[in-house]
Amino acid sequence: MAEPVLRVENLCCGFHTEDGYIRVVDGVSFECEAGKTLGLVGESGCGKTVSALAVMGLLPQPAGVVEEGRILFRGEDLAATSHDTMRVVRGQQIGMIFQEPMTALNPVHRVGKQLFEALRLYESGLDKDDLTARAVELLEQVGIPDPVRRLREYPHQLSGGMRQRVMIAMALAGQPEILIADEPTTALDVTVQAQILDLLRELQQERGMTMIFITHDLGVVAEFCDEVLVMYAGRIAERAPVGRLFNAPHHPYTRGLIESLPRMDTPSRTPLNTIEGVVPKLTEMPAGCRFSNRCGYADERCGREVPALESCTERSAVREPRDANGGGDTEAVEPRAARHEVACHHWQRLAA
Amino acid sequence: MSAPLLEVRNLTKFFPVRAGVFLRKVGDVHAVDDVSFTLHRGETLGLVGESGCGKSTVGKTILNLLRPTAGQVLFEGRDLGTLSHAEWRAVRRDIQIVFQDPMESLNARHTVGQILEEPFVIHKLGTPEERNIWARDLLERVGLPRSAVSRFPHEFSGGQRQRIGIARAIALKPKLIICDEAVSALDVSVRAQIVNLLLELQHDMELALLFIAHDLSVVRHVSNEVAVMYLGRIVERASSNEIYDQPCHPYTRALVSAIPLPDPGRERDRIVLEGDVPSPIEPPSGCRFHTRCAHAERVCAEKTPEWETVTPWQQVACHRWRELRGEIQD
Ligand SMILES: Nc1ncnc2c1ncn2[C@@H]1O[C@H](COP(=O)(O)OP(=O)(O)OP(=O)(O)O)[C@@H](O)[C@H]1O
Ligand code: SF4
Ligand SMILES: [Mg+2]
Repeated sequence: MAEPVLRVENLCCGFHTEDGYIRVVDGVSFECEAGKTLGLVGESGCGKTVSALAVMGLLPQPAGVVEEGRILFRGEDLAATSHDTMRVVRGQQIGMIFQEPMTALNPVHRVGKQLFEALRLYESGLDKDDLTARAVELLEQVGIPDPVRRLREYPHQLSGGMRQRVMIAMALAGQPEILIADEPTTALDVTVQAQILDLLRELQQERGMTMIFITHDLGVVAEFCDEVLVMYAGRIAERAPVGRLFNAPHHPYTRGLIESLPRMDTPSRTPLNTIEGVVPKLTEMPAGCRFSNRCGYADERCGREVPALESCTERSAVREPRDANGGGDTEAVEPRAARHEVACHHWQRLAA
Repeated sequence: MSAPLLEVRNLTKFFPVRAGVFLRKVGDVHAVDDVSFTLHRGETLGLVGESGCGKSTVGKTILNLLRPTAGQVLFEGRDLGTLSHAEWRAVRRDIQIVFQDPMESLNARHTVGQILEEPFVIHKLGTPEERNIWARDLLERVGLPRSAVSRFPHEFSGGQRQRIGIARAIALKPKLIICDEAVSALDVSVRAQIVNLLLELQHDMELALLFIAHDLSVVRHVSNEVAVMYLGRIVERASSNEIYDQPCHPYTRALVSAIPLPDPGRERDRIVLEGDVPSPIEPPSGCRFHTRCAHAERVCAEKTPEWETVTPWQQVACHRWRELRGEIQD
């Protein structure tokens, strides 16, 4: 099998705060397969953005620290490279769409000026006409009508959907191989979200881009991602191909999340399933499994011993649901697509 | 059928747009235009639509936080626009609101106890000791420890703060609660807890809920009936099953088809709308959706569609719904 484009190994990072150092990402590992979309899902504060910023070498300084771990891009360890090298990698190899469009777009500068700056980072010697031509081309690629006029506008003059398109254009300026999109549609209305997801899908196909898609919306994960990492309190709880994640979740947290969604095909006004309690503060985490104080399967061992992320595919036959209804579809299931790992002492009980 | 608890008749709210040195009025934002609905005791009406469609303005107008430009709000048969100050104060006990961000509506410098006692103080109910007990009872009712009275809002998580907001809203045993994006900012698992709490309180207290939100899957789940708004107007009203199973308005269909479902591999016909919602300052003529509707014909730009009955539980304002329904079934 081909070497993954990006491999993150045992990433641990955190922040120096008034209350001392706090680790917020604790031993996260994953790979991104070329041309595929990896979803990073979990509830607010679980460390999705911090993990992505660490990969980009953009943790806020001086508070943010990557303590440990390797971030291998095409075999080269980004965690160990210099700031200058990182600047080149950023944008040209890995582009990012940031969670807060208004913080990533400077409100006092025209859209054009900001795009020109992004373009200049990657290519020197462009004159004003070249820059304009390139910027117009970028805006056209992300489906912005009347791009020449848009260049002269300020971010606040654009609708939410248009702003997000500009953000995507900026992330694409360096023609990256990997695009990290951090909640790119969360602030948008659902019909606008559908437009933006369509656009990302098209761009990915045209460019063969690899994507890391961060979201807390399981519906978006189901429709957009190939493989999914579920994070809980800074750690990976489960990792699975998207079909398996939804049809056979093996971690109590994943199952709880999926079951707590209101569904369109169940009767309305019935109680939803819930996960009791709240995520503990980072300073008050249980010693063993971090989910143990909310988990219906927890026993004494769970409170004591951290469960390792282990494969759960050997026992159950692997069947990709995407192909299941297809009948005659005989496309071979790649070994990687079958990879299903879970960090729970009692996953066998859920598998049964 | 009994008389409705709340009846909104042809509610219209325009906001003037001013410009120039003399701030001359240059137009109106048509925030809410000719909106009508009824809500019965103990039931939930969901009001769904995208940002700027006017749904929050409807809520604020019912609460008299905004004066309607035209139309009426009737509560238990009385026109709220004609009440005296004293009469309004009495009615106000029966209508409460829960917002998206409880931090904005809760006084950050007050303890949770003070926040929960305030409605009783305002309405001169009980002794200080009684109020303190009532505040603790309320906390227990919404699933928080009684001891929380002495803590401050910022010490709580988002979901817990929303429980405090709900506790305050039910303090005076209202008949109607307006939930304006009350669960929209919450994480999935917390959202489920709060939805359950609302359903339970509604059942126990015979509360009516006007549930305003942009997320149709949540709205459908808590509502008996759902009204879909687009650019200041309701375009379709239906029971919560019909709205998803057989939407008739092309906008509702686009909205339903755009909801990402946690069901990978399921094939869906997605309708992706083009462009942005037009400005509410000069909204399109006729059917407001005609500029983005794939099925629009001349009549759609010329005439405002009348309400038509699909089934006793479903009404739609679209010129072409009959033909379109045929097309879909083919
Ligand atoms: N600059 C910072 N200083 C201190 N702590 C931080 C900082 N940025 C993030 N954190 C903490 O790190 C943890 C992980 O945050 P992160 O932003 O990665 O979460 P997230 O999963 O992206 O959440 P959301 O869904 O809300 O975007 C949280 O506890 C957060 O409070
Ligand atoms: S390890 Fe124990 S506490 Fe953690 S998820 Fe599994 S069963 Fe629950
Ligand atoms: Mg984030």
